[in-house]
Amino acid sequence: MKNTYLQISQMITGALVAILLAIHIAAQQSYVVLGLLGIKVADPTTWVSMMERAHQGSWVGIYIALLAFGLFHALNGLRNILLETNLSASAMRILTGCLIAFGVIFLILGTYTPIALFSSYR
Amino acid sequence: MSDKGPHQNYLGMRGWIWAGNYKLERYLYLLHRITGLGLLLFGLFHLTATTIFRAQGEAVWTSTISFLDNPLFRVGEFLVVAAFSYHAINGLRLIIQELGFALGKPVPPIYPFTDAIRRKRAWTLVILAAIMVLAVAFFIDFTVRGWG
Repeated sequence: MKNTYLQISQMITGALVAILLAIHIAAQQSYVVLGLLGIKVADPTTWVSMMERAHQGSWVGIYIALLAFGLFHALNGLRNILLETNLSASAMRILTGCLIAFGVIFLILGTYTPIALFSSYR
Repeated sequence: MSDKGPHQNYLGMRGWIWAGNYKLERYLYLLHRITGLGLLLFGLFHLTATTIFRAQGEAVWTSTISFLDNPLFRVGEFLVVAAFSYHAINGLRLIIQELGFALGKPVPPIYPFTDAIRRKRAWTLVILAAIMVLAVAFFIDFTVRGWG
């Protein structure tokens, strides 16, 4: 039953990541397309532009949600691949624990910076 | 009494490449996994760059961005977008089929048989179209911004 819930969660997080990542990529690359149409938009990778987004709650929310859903989708996908390597049940439990620990560390690392930047502005 | 337990995965990951009569969908699935692993690696690199370097202030951020602004990383950037596009579109197809849609009606195997490649030609065209769009976007971007 656990694997069924994980599979459903994998599909749901996959759809959410696709939507959030499409927003992120569009925001980062639209200035090239708009530039072709003669519309001048600031390069989103500059410090000023990046800090503007870091001070907007909606962007901080999108980044943290993308990170959380993306980490779950990626690490659960990696676990699905590792399940095919014919590891023993105990080895698989250890690997699952390592993946969870890895995900938690990267979640803390990834959420700290946007929250710290957002808090410093307010 | 016959053994009714699950079959062992004797081939392991080698079975991804070849285990007999694989059809096009199986290779789409293989590419889905490869692009997924690639996106995971890029995601970790991207996360490190946008947290550790960003937290160190404007000077470090600007030097990181200027270091990454070279043809090698830009080709990599386009590969990431291509991998994401493929992974998302194929993932959507897998979700639709998992929910029981777009599977087609089952038909009895009557001679002459239609091979899988012909049946999946529509999907092949969609994938080729997506690759062509990305290739055009790639060259337009290089024309606008140059190689530098």
